[in-house]
Amino acid sequence: MTLTRFSPDKIGGAVCTIIGAVSLIEALRLYPYGVGLLTGDHTFPGILGVLLCIGGIFLLFKKSKGFGEASMPKGKIRLKMLLSIMILLIYCFLIGILGYFLSTLAAFTCLFRLLGSYRWIISLFFSATLTAVLYGLFIVLLKTPFPGGSLFF
Amino acid sequence: MDTFVYLFNGLTEVLTPNNLLIVLIGSLLGTMVGVLPGLGPTSAIAILLPLTAVLEPTQGIIMLAGIYYGAMYGGSTTAILMNIPGESSSVPTTLDGYPLARQGRGGAALGIAAIGSFIAGIIGLIGLVVFAPLLADQALKFGPPEYFILMLIAFLVLFNLTGFSFVKSMLMGVLGFLVSLVGIGVSTGIPRFDFGWSALAGGFEMISIIIGLFAISEVLKGLEENRTTIKQEEIKSIYPTRADLRQCAFPILRGSILGFFLGILPGISATITSFLSYDLERKVSKRPERFGKGAIEGVAGPESANNATSSGGFIPLLSLGLPSSPPLAVLLAALMIYGLTPGPVLFEQNSQMVWTVIASMFVGNIILLILNLPLVGLWAKLTEVPFGILGPIILMISILGAYSVRNSMFDVIVAILFGALGYLFHKFHWPIIPFILCLVLGPKMESSFIQSLEISSGNVMIFLERPISLTLLVLAVVLLSISLFLMKRTRKRIVQETGDHMEFS
Repeated sequence: MTLTRFSPDKIGGAVCTIIGAVSLIEALRLYPYGVGLLTGDHTFPGILGVLLCIGGIFLLFKKSKGFGEASMPKGKIRLKMLLSIMILLIYCFLIGILGYFLSTLAAFTCLFRLLGSYRWIISLFFSATLTAVLYGLFIVLLKTPFPGGSLFF
Repeated sequence: MDTFVYLFNGLTEVLTPNNLLIVLIGSLLGTMVGVLPGLGPTSAIAILLPLTAVLEPTQGIIMLAGIYYGAMYGGSTTAILMNIPGESSSVPTTLDGYPLARQGRGGAALGIAAIGSFIAGIIGLIGLVVFAPLLADQALKFGPPEYFILMLIAFLVLFNLTGFSFVKSMLMGVLGFLVSLVGIGVSTGIPRFDFGWSALAGGFEMISIIIGLFAISEVLKGLEENRTTIKQEEIKSIYPTRADLRQCAFPILRGSILGFFLGILPGISATITSFLSYDLERKVSKRPERFGKGAIEGVAGPESANNATSSGGFIPLLSLGLPSSPPLAVLLAALMIYGLTPGPVLFEQNSQMVWTVIASMFVGNIILLILNLPLVGLWAKLTEVPFGILGPIILMISILGAYSVRNSMFDVIVAILFGALGYLFHKFHWPIIPFILCLVLGPKMESSFIQSLEISSGNVMIFLERPISLTLLVLAVVLLSISLFLMKRTRKRIVQETGDHMEFS
């Protein structure tokens, strides 16, 4: 996917302008609570909102020089990147249901399989070892209370 | 005189078995992460920060400082052996380091890099011991207007320093600032940018964002680059010869002094000083044609300058609370997590802790010098760990680390989100450095601004009427001009040497 029609800088400019507008709306919401125009919780959302809008609009209308243009990864690599993020998000959800041990083991195994293309059995071996090491580090040593799942461990 | 008494007390504190062990673990962990291709000091601190939470604040900071300079050293290993500069400041090291490695003299180059880093680190630390308390003492006279002006200057200079478009740098800084505003407002206590969502009312956890931007995004970048184990050059002899040492004595000294004195000025980054040092060595050399083909002075000078600048960065960090680079911004965030407020009062309120940390840096540098030369072979082996193993480990440590800071799954989602954003920022050349610095300093800048205007009953001229803030502004104009000139020169040099645009470190 090559971004030709809308260069990344223009997309970035548009996003900045929108965020700037949101910031200005937030400043207007907070203004009645402030003491003066420049002393209150609205001041910086207002200033930053203006800066974002100006900078964003500037990028929107600036002629692109080609530097900063890039194409997004394609095919297998793109799939791998998306799947890695998906695995992490699913892990956040699963840890509440399965508990630390099973969810971490599953996430690790999938990641080893995906990123390293190791066989399932080898991925499982690496995962079991690292799940135990991280258990020792985060739960035993750092005493981090991970959410307990139905198979809490 | 008091300074040396404090330093001595700090040293006695560090030289206890427990603290020595912490320094040792920190330096080794930092080097271990730093040698992994693609991971620099910022990623090293971000990944390992949650693990230090189990320690006492002083020990935690000692370990983080160890991780910082350990990772700095580790970065030169990949630059020399594999021609991979982890950060733009290591580019000059690759120019002669890699040719030396190809000639079978990688060990000597690494040895010189270690010795240069050690001497520069010690010179930087002496400067820190001398200048930081003096600066902190002067900074006690600063009020909110002076602080605001100081931070504004730091931002303006840094926006120019990223190596990319000023507008994009400024926008990234503003976005970082905006993210720091999410949560309870400083004046009214009313939640801002929460959109009725309670998770946002508590604000974003800085560490989650840092983990996302520097650790998770690094794995995504690695996936795209399809990182495979690059065969490194064989290391024949670990120690540099006497002739090497003689040849490098002055380049190390020149690099250290140049790196330190230029580095304490805001707006001069390690990238600028390491390139300046490389060019200086080539200029003063009787045989400049050797440069680029394996001149050991081409490793000694830039490595020393790089390290001296990094050590010099601790002066504004500890005395003014201003970080001059991303790893120092992460360290600043860590100090805040430990309940410390870097700035002039730090030397008054937490004097023992500050001096223990400074003393630990002296000890850490000695440990690195003693251990790293014999361990060169081991570090070189570590660079061969396949990405297929490294990637999942970094991802899972990042996730668990992000969770462990506030025991919140929201923070994990934030880390993942910023991981993806960090990848896109890198891809499309939107610099992350201003984002991080403004994220860390944003709340302080806002409170200084509001306090200043409360003092002056809303009159913005307060920033120009006070003598110190006016002096700071005049200084800023001078520094910005110097920075603009050096920046342009360094940007050209990077493109010349690598054929690519890189974000400055």
